[in-house]
Amino acid sequence: MAKTLPKRSVVIVGGGLTAGLVARQLTAQNIDVLVLERGVDHRHGAESRLPTQRDELRWSTRQGLMQDWSVQPYSLRHNRRDPSYPIRWMSAFLPGEGMGGAANHWNGQSWRWSEYDPAIRTRYESRYGKAFIPANMPLRDWGVSYAQMEPYHDLFEKLFGVAGQAGNLRGTIQPGGNPFEGPRSNEYPQKPLEITEAGSIFKSAAQSLGFKPFPGPAANSTGAYTNPDGQKLGQCQYCGHCERFICEAQAKGTPEVLLYPMLLQRKSFEIRLRAHVLGVNYDAQAKRATGVRYVDLVTGKEYVQPADVVVLGAFTMTNTRLLLLDGIGKPYDPGTQTGVVGRNFCYQTLSGVDVFFKDRWINPFLASGGTTTVIDEFNNDNFDHSGLGFLGGGSIGASVTNGRPIASRAVPAGTPRWGTEWKAANAAWYAHAFNVWAQGSCYPDRENFLDLDHAYTDAYGQPLLRMTFDFRDNEVKMSHWVTQKIGAIAKAMRPDIMGSVEGLKPSFDTRVYQTTHVTGGTPMGADPAHSVVSPHLQHWDAQNLFVVGASVYPHNSGFNPTGPLAALALRLGDDLISYAKRPRML
Amino acid sequence: MSIEDPGKSPRREFLKQAAALAGAAAVAGTVAAVESRAAGAPAETAPFEGYEFFGPDEAAFVEALVNVMCPADQYTPNGVDCGLATFFDRQLGGAFGQGKGRYLRGPWNQGPPEMGLQSPLTPAQFFKVGLNAANEVSMQRHSKPFEQLSPAQANLLLHDIQDEHVNTDSVSLGSWFNSLVYPLFVQACFSDPMYGGNYNKVFWKMLGYPGLPATHALDMVQYRGKPYPQAGNPKSILDFS
Ligand SMILES: Cc1cc2nc3c(=O)[nH]c(=O)nc-3n(C[C@H](O)[C@H](O)[C@H](O)COP(=O)(O)OP(=O)(O)OC[C@H]3O[C@@H](n4cnc5c(N)ncnc54)[C@H](O)[C@@H]3O)c2cc1C
Repeated sequence: MAKTLPKRSVVIVGGGLTAGLVARQLTAQNIDVLVLERGVDHRHGAESRLPTQRDELRWSTRQGLMQDWSVQPYSLRHNRRDPSYPIRWMSAFLPGEGMGGAANHWNGQSWRWSEYDPAIRTRYESRYGKAFIPANMPLRDWGVSYAQMEPYHDLFEKLFGVAGQAGNLRGTIQPGGNPFEGPRSNEYPQKPLEITEAGSIFKSAAQSLGFKPFPGPAANSTGAYTNPDGQKLGQCQYCGHCERFICEAQAKGTPEVLLYPMLLQRKSFEIRLRAHVLGVNYDAQAKRATGVRYVDLVTGKEYVQPADVVVLGAFTMTNTRLLLLDGIGKPYDPGTQTGVVGRNFCYQTLSGVDVFFKDRWINPFLASGGTTTVIDEFNNDNFDHSGLGFLGGGSIGASVTNGRPIASRAVPAGTPRWGTEWKAANAAWYAHAFNVWAQGSCYPDRENFLDLDHAYTDAYGQPLLRMTFDFRDNEVKMSHWVTQKIGAIAKAMRPDIMGSVEGLKPSFDTRVYQTTHVTGGTPMGADPAHSVVSPHLQHWDAQNLFVVGASVYPHNSGFNPTGPLAALALRLGDDLISYAKRPRML
Repeated sequence: MSIEDPGKSPRREFLKQAAALAGAAAVAGTVAAVESRAAGAPAETAPFEGYEFFGPDEAAFVEALVNVMCPADQYTPNGVDCGLATFFDRQLGGAFGQGKGRYLRGPWNQGPPEMGLQSPLTPAQFFKVGLNAANEVSMQRHSKPFEQLSPAQANLLLHDIQDEHVNTDSVSLGSWFNSLVYPLFVQACFSDPMYGGNYNKVFWKMLGYPGLPATHALDMVQYRGKPYPQAGNPKSILDFS
């Protein structure tokens, strides 16, 4: 029998980025917060120290910091009619584990999305008419506006020392920044990162075609930085070990550096590590969450942790799965188009073109996770979609983030995969090539969703979360179109060799890393018939249950996802302060 | 080694003779040290540390494999001398080989390739199954085990396996090669020499990857668009340990 522990005010499932941001707001007001995190504290291990931090095989290839697939994988089928398979070693996306979550080993590319992203349906309908959005695309407004999120974007950028070049300062377009940016109340807190050689080549080519390239915003610290909480970042060393690694120089904005050490000093904060949450206890009659169940991974004992308020901040996949496991909210049924939990599951649509220059020194190892040079002309609805036959788009850029030799070696097509010729090609091109790439949006499709897979169980005997997902017609057309734009820019660079210009094609391949930008499953919105949580992230069927993270996005944009979800987490923290004083539907 | 001299496998022959004696692995290092190398190849040779995981026949297969995939040439010594076989041995004998982090519960159904391997075998078990199957194909084609093929024969067989032109009843050799053998080969070449491959950072030198400590805040500006002076003299984890 599970032992029942004393009740706590706010219990947060997952101890990653969103949990840390929510807890920052609450504990500043002395509100009691308990975080339950399945992983460990990475701060003193080999992953956070030189020389062992710089180990590509251990941390990247063997996924040393990631979710353990032997404990908990996901299953996949590309279509509803297909059988599903458990992904036994997932490479496509890599949820994290441990105090700080995946945001400890992120690249730090730190975007705000377009001003119209939270009102995406309205945007397309008002520009192209009601009939423009296809019936199989449940694109929805979020019920929150960019203006409401802006102060929290601003706060997050200051907390994480984001480096960048403003493009739109209080409505005035700034030279050198992104002219498509939503209005910002302040400059970025730090100046942009140094541009890479690849970035310079991209920049000239993009400018020659009339585009406006700018440095991608990054939580990689350009200098020594102290945030408004007095937490410090060191200077980025451009070591090329960002994504999938913990920054031993503490120069990357991460929860493990900027949030948890501070929170651990606060009396009203507690984090329990190696606590794997199995479910949310739900009183369907009262429409309340009463607490959560977890296993203590040190003793193997199971506990019930009662709570006044439960927050799910355990990343897209766990957030959705916990609601499905305990039957909180109606599961989405694609056949009848009813139900909500699991719907609007989206990913990211990537494509790119390799370019090779005999006489240019790209030196890919001189880079950080955030050294990107980008244009926004072809993202989302920044261009006219009339007659194109698809919605969405992508940011395009030169994104050289590392030269780690196992994975980061481009060779021209047709190079043999081993032997002397293979070595010759690697020797010739390693320092002289890069990829011009697009990070494309992924809009929801009726047939892309999450549910439980009762054919397979995890190490705790619970059914796996099943993805029914593929890149559908809209994304394939969009990717083809955007990739032609990449091709034009690549051509303008006059490379000695250029790779093929092909958009992303189905089927979704779990063997290749794409991005850890899986979104949706618990979408937010103003209408309970199409959303799991309200615009304040409050569950429609359990007033004291809140969900935060990319799982609340009704669509995925052509940017990395963390900026808006961080802003929403900070806003949720403030909402919960108000809720704690007077519990109600917010 | 065998591929330079088809028909014989010196280390294999030696190990067979030595198997009767105690301490075969300990003295085997001397054999590795005197093995011939192509003229003009960089002089340094990975010391032979003994195999933890491979038996002599398996070792002979893997040595032949890495020497075909990485012949001695102007870039590197042969695969064995680069430590690639040692890397295979250590990885397959260790946590990776035992399936660390891999979901190994049933039920088992073969799916499309995008779903990844759907096999109940650990990588170590799968490696052996594929190795035996590849040897059988070699016997069928040439009446010789893989390590006795000429380099050209061995190379052709590997290409046929890669392209899924070789079928056996028991195992998909294409997926064996493409999802297990080839990634291990690449990792053996390019990971830190601490793991036994990439001896003397020879592959990093070939690329011009400078390795550690990679504190490049100044280099980033100074060497943007220029040759990086330390690229030919990389440092590894071992150098800082
Ligand atoms: C390799 C990589 C690179 C990335 N790069 C970028 C980038 O450049 N830009 C960008 O915007 N985003 C990037 N991301 C995404 C970014 O890391 C996430 O958006 C962000 O961390 C989400 O915050 P979160 O709090 O929702 O999830 P996380 O920070 O992952 O935290 C979730 C936590 O919940 C815990 N948890 C899950 N299930 C349970 C359970 N059952 N019981 C207990 N605990 C549980 C996990 O262990 C984890 O610590 C990257 C991600 C990865 C993996």
